Amino acid sequence: MKKMYSNKLVITSLVLPGLLLFVFAILAPICLSVYYSLTNYSGMGSWDMIGLENYKTLAHDEAFFTALRNSLFLAIGFICIQHPLAIIVAAILDKKGGRGESFFRCVYFIPNVISVAVIAYLWKFIYNPNFGLLNNILKLFGHKGNINWFSPQMAIWSVLVVLIWHGFGWGMLIYYSGIKNIDPTLYEAAAIDGANPRQTFLRVTLPLMKPVIQVNVTMAVISALKQMETVYLLTNGGPGNATQFTATYLYQQAFKAFKYGYGNAISVVFIIICLLATVVLNKIFEEREPKRRVQ
Amino acid sequence: MKAKWWSVALTAAMVTGLMSGATIYASAEEPVTLKVFSNLPDRKNGQGLVEQMIIDEYMEENPNVTIEVEALDEEAYKTKFKAYAMEGMPDVVNIWGQPSFLDEVLEAGVLAELNEDDYADYKFIEGSLEGFKKDGKLYGLPRNTDVAVFYYNQKMFEDNGWSVPSTYDELLELGKTITEAGMTPVAMDGGDGWPMAVYLSDLLYKITGDYKETVANAVANGDFSDEAFAQATQLLKDAADAGLFQVGYDSQDYGTAMNLFTNGQAAMFYMGSWETSMALNEDIPEEIRTNIRVFTMPTVTDGAASATDIEAWNGGGYAVSASSEVKDEAIKFLNFMYQPDKLSKYGWENGVGMSAQDQTDYMTGEETELMKQIVEIVTNATSVSGTPVNDCGPSAFKTSIESEIQSVSNGTIDVDTFLGNIGTACK
Repeated sequence: MKKMYSNKLVITSLVLPGLLLFVFAILAPICLSVYYSLTNYSGMGSWDMIGLENYKTLAHDEAFFTALRNSLFLAIGFICIQHPLAIIVAAILDKKGGRGESFFRCVYFIPNVISVAVIAYLWKFIYNPNFGLLNNILKLFGHKGNINWFSPQMAIWSVLVVLIWHGFGWGMLIYYSGIKNIDPTLYEAAAIDGANPRQTFLRVTLPLMKPVIQVNVTMAVISALKQMETVYLLTNGGPGNATQFTATYLYQQAFKAFKYGYGNAISVVFIIICLLATVVLNKIFEEREPKRRVQ
Repeated sequence: MKAKWWSVALTAAMVTGLMSGATIYASAEEPVTLKVFSNLPDRKNGQGLVEQMIIDEYMEENPNVTIEVEALDEEAYKTKFKAYAMEGMPDVVNIWGQPSFLDEVLEAGVLAELNEDDYADYKFIEGSLEGFKKDGKLYGLPRNTDVAVFYYNQKMFEDNGWSVPSTYDELLELGKTITEAGMTPVAMDGGDGWPMAVYLSDLLYKITGDYKETVANAVANGDFSDEAFAQATQLLKDAADAGLFQVGYDSQDYGTAMNLFTNGQAAMFYMGSWETSMALNEDIPEEIRTNIRVFTMPTVTDGAASATDIEAWNGGGYAVSASSEVKDEAIKFLNFMYQPDKLSKYGWENGVGMSAQDQTDYMTGEETELMKQIVEIVTNATSVSGTPVNDCGPSAFKTSIESEIQSVSNGTIDVDTFLGNIGTACK
């Protein structure tokens, strides 16, 4: 067996499929994107090389920075609202146990199995100021007038609620699996030491969940930066650029404004931002090696 | 010897049989599949129904031809159109005879040239082919004559004692009265951007009386500082500020806006004349659909245009792909569609508004009141605007104006910033 793994042909044949997949599905499109970002290609016909012109325009594009700010706002929303809630709900589900455990686990996961298009239209109707569910509920409690949930001031919050609701089940399920993997003897030991539920959660559950939190938060940040379909179907980035996200803006420029080269410049910057976010998050969660005591 | 004779006879019979078979095969027409890419996803109502009727008729008359339709709504259609332009276009496609769409498409050379002489007897309205030409060559045919109108519920107006406004100030006053009565004055599809851009164009036309040159210069120089643009934008903003449109108009789509009107929640609906088929749509309650009437944008104070100078244009149409492998059949189908007794006649019978061809032969006198009104408006028009402003420039300009118009109408940006931003998008 050992001999087989030292055979270069075997090594190559095992590595090659993954390598080819990486080259053709990731590396080549990125290289093409970099190339097109240096052109004035409209998406049809011929094009000219224009150097860094697209990047210079991008540096002064207010709409792009609005979109970037909204993407980061969403990432912060995921980290500060969605994930703490998901951990708490996962811990409660684990503690409660019984029949309710699997029932609520399914209920929380339902939004994740519904098509994005259905979710977008569902929430469009809920938010509709003229006949939407939300305003009608408020009217039952005596509120007068129609609240515009997609006004320039409120639209980003309304979108945030939908996205948090949509992704909540997924995050909760991963945390739930993480909690289930914690050795029950640790809880028993904590109980013997007299730890209350709060202390058990903060001193046992959370520290042992660190790798799961790391994966979940990284995925949440990347998904916030990549957010496209739900926002596109819900608000199309509007009104104006109030709910414009980096991915929706990229799409708008490349495929609606016929500025394919410019769209690619956005995508290159976007890739760099995603990579930076991943590196920063990895640094934050990096296990610090305990310093060895000098004997 | 006998065996040889038999074998010769059998061989001869076989060869004859094969040859006769070949003859029969050659005489039958080759099966052809035509791919039609359409922006009319509703195949049971309005324009989509008319298109489908003609397709079915063509397949019936030409049994060897199979027509496959791929239909998407306008936004998705335009996006996929671009993808097709890169990888190979379907044989017959919908196009728009406007610079914002056609300039880049023709530059990429994806549409086949048509022979204008073929259409000498097709009764196209004078000037309607111009938007589909480049360097004197024809690349597509127009489908409709579109007019921007306010649809209104006549019964609702009569019951409440409201009257059709003759000036823009009266329209805003009427809006306030309707709001006080607890209803939405005008249902506006502001989420898509383009209907508000048409509204802006309508106002600009009422102010200038002719905006073609002003807009062409503004687009060419990226400079929208002409006072008329600021005035028209301010009038649009005044309407939004006065609550003329429904709450949240700037984020609501076509269907939602239209439903507000067809459900009787809104008194008016600002849209193109292609929606005259509402009068025949049985999904709309009878009390509403039989009472739908129209009026055009009222005159504005000190405006150069009169009430009969209208915002109208020839927009959508059809073209054939330059790379089509069955180009001859595709052109044959296109020509079949545009025979005066097809698209134009069926369109008229199904109340989908004015076609780009002369339809007077098909008027029976039994048309809906709504259709008669549209005909009257077009017949009595003293001038027409031509392409709306948002479609007069490159795609980047169109994308910009249709997004920025939401921001200026809801007060996120001021009029000067709006005009500056759309100017920048032209450069």
